[in-house]
Amino acid sequence: MATPIFVTAASIAAELHQAMLEAKGLALTAKNARALAVRAGSKTVGFKAITHFIDELASDIIRQSQYINEVSEGLSQQAVSLWRASMAAEKFDWIAQQHEHNLASLQSAMQQSRQQKEQLSQTLSRGLRELEQQLEEGDKHIRTANLIATSSKVEAASAGDFRNQLEVIAHNITDTADKIRAHLSRARNLLSQRQSFA
Amino acid sequence: MLATTLYEDGDHRWIMFGRDPHKTEGIIDTNQYLVQSGNQAILLDPGGIELFAPMLSAVLKFVRADQITHLFASHQDPDIISSLGLWDQALPNARLYSPWLWEGFIRHFGMEKIEYCAIPDEGMSISLGRIQLQFIPAHYLHSSGNFHVYDPKANILMSGDVGAALEDTDAPLWVDNMSTHIPKMKKFHQRWMPSNEAKIDWIRRVRQLDIDIMAPQHGRLFRPPFIGEFLNWFEDLPVGIAIR
Repeated sequence: MATPIFVTAASIAAELHQAMLEAKGLALTAKNARALAVRAGSKTVGFKAITHFIDELASDIIRQSQYINEVSEGLSQQAVSLWRASMAAEKFDWIAQQHEHNLASLQSAMQQSRQQKEQLSQTLSRGLRELEQQLEEGDKHIRTANLIATSSKVEAASAGDFRNQLEVIAHNITDTADKIRAHLSRARNLLSQRQSFA
Repeated sequence: MLATTLYEDGDHRWIMFGRDPHKTEGIIDTNQYLVQSGNQAILLDPGGIELFAPMLSAVLKFVRADQITHLFASHQDPDIISSLGLWDQALPNARLYSPWLWEGFIRHFGMEKIEYCAIPDEGMSISLGRIQLQFIPAHYLHSSGNFHVYDPKANILMSGDVGAALEDTDAPLWVDNMSTHIPKMKKFHQRWMPSNEAKIDWIRRVRQLDIDIMAPQHGRLFRPPFIGEFLNWFEDLPVGIAIR
């Protein structure tokens, strides 16, 4: 059975919520890295500069995840309203097939439910397009995270006694970026598998 | 869905809907009632979401949609009013009369356009066309906020779950033998009705009403002398038995 669009949108919201939690972890990694860079002094000047980018990236991902989460939850609500309007329209059509007694008195309600269905379909289409765009933006953040992780590894290699600790941090960045990528990927899959709702 | 006219006097009539042969298997059979007077009509306990389409289809054979100005839900159960979200689409200008106690709960069924008119604990009367209908308190029978509907002109009491029996959809419409009907009601009343005190209070008040038809939400309807026999039987029946 095809998954209703309101379930899909709610599932996307859940994926983005998880991505946001990972990004909060990334922000913590940035703080740890900065503290370590301060302690390490001149040998980790390059790394220290990178920590600002990590922090900024984490903030961007958190902000964007929250936004996508809100968009997805709103879409889920709209999809439920659309489902209700569609169900009412279906029931009215069924009644119209049964008999014509007093059917004219139901015309206004039938027309309203059709209009509501149409409006909600359009709103939902716009919302889903926006969701697609936002998820593509998310992919850009992941590419940035990978660049930062690579630079961190390079900087870690020249950090002397702090090399191991900085490599752990670089590894954390890669790991977190992979997890966020996985959530975004699942969200995009859900979006691409959505059923027609019109 | 079967539609039966219970009472008709000019443009004042009571119609019962139920015994739907196409009803989805596994859901309890319910009686819905339409009371019409002039250009206004009220649906009493309009039913569950599964019943909406056949119910509206059946009702339109008697009245126009815009004539259904009122809805009544005796309490909050799904077989009573889970269709509300769809009636909300069909009758955007209607008013729903229901216990004040259940407003926040009943709204969960979906209600954006219909106006909720909260019935106070002591009950109330409303005008419908040229008649008055009384919402009679029936708290704890079985719901903690519960009302029945009395029409003093037609002498009909819609008694909700009181007098209900669980039977096949092809069961006769009227009670014709109390001794064979009691076994179909006994467990339902003993388990669903929690309070002997509430039961006695309700019986005392209902005995003061002039009733030609007692119309429950499930099963057969009662006419004299079976109404009196039912009240006597119910008076002696211990209820709220699940904890014993």
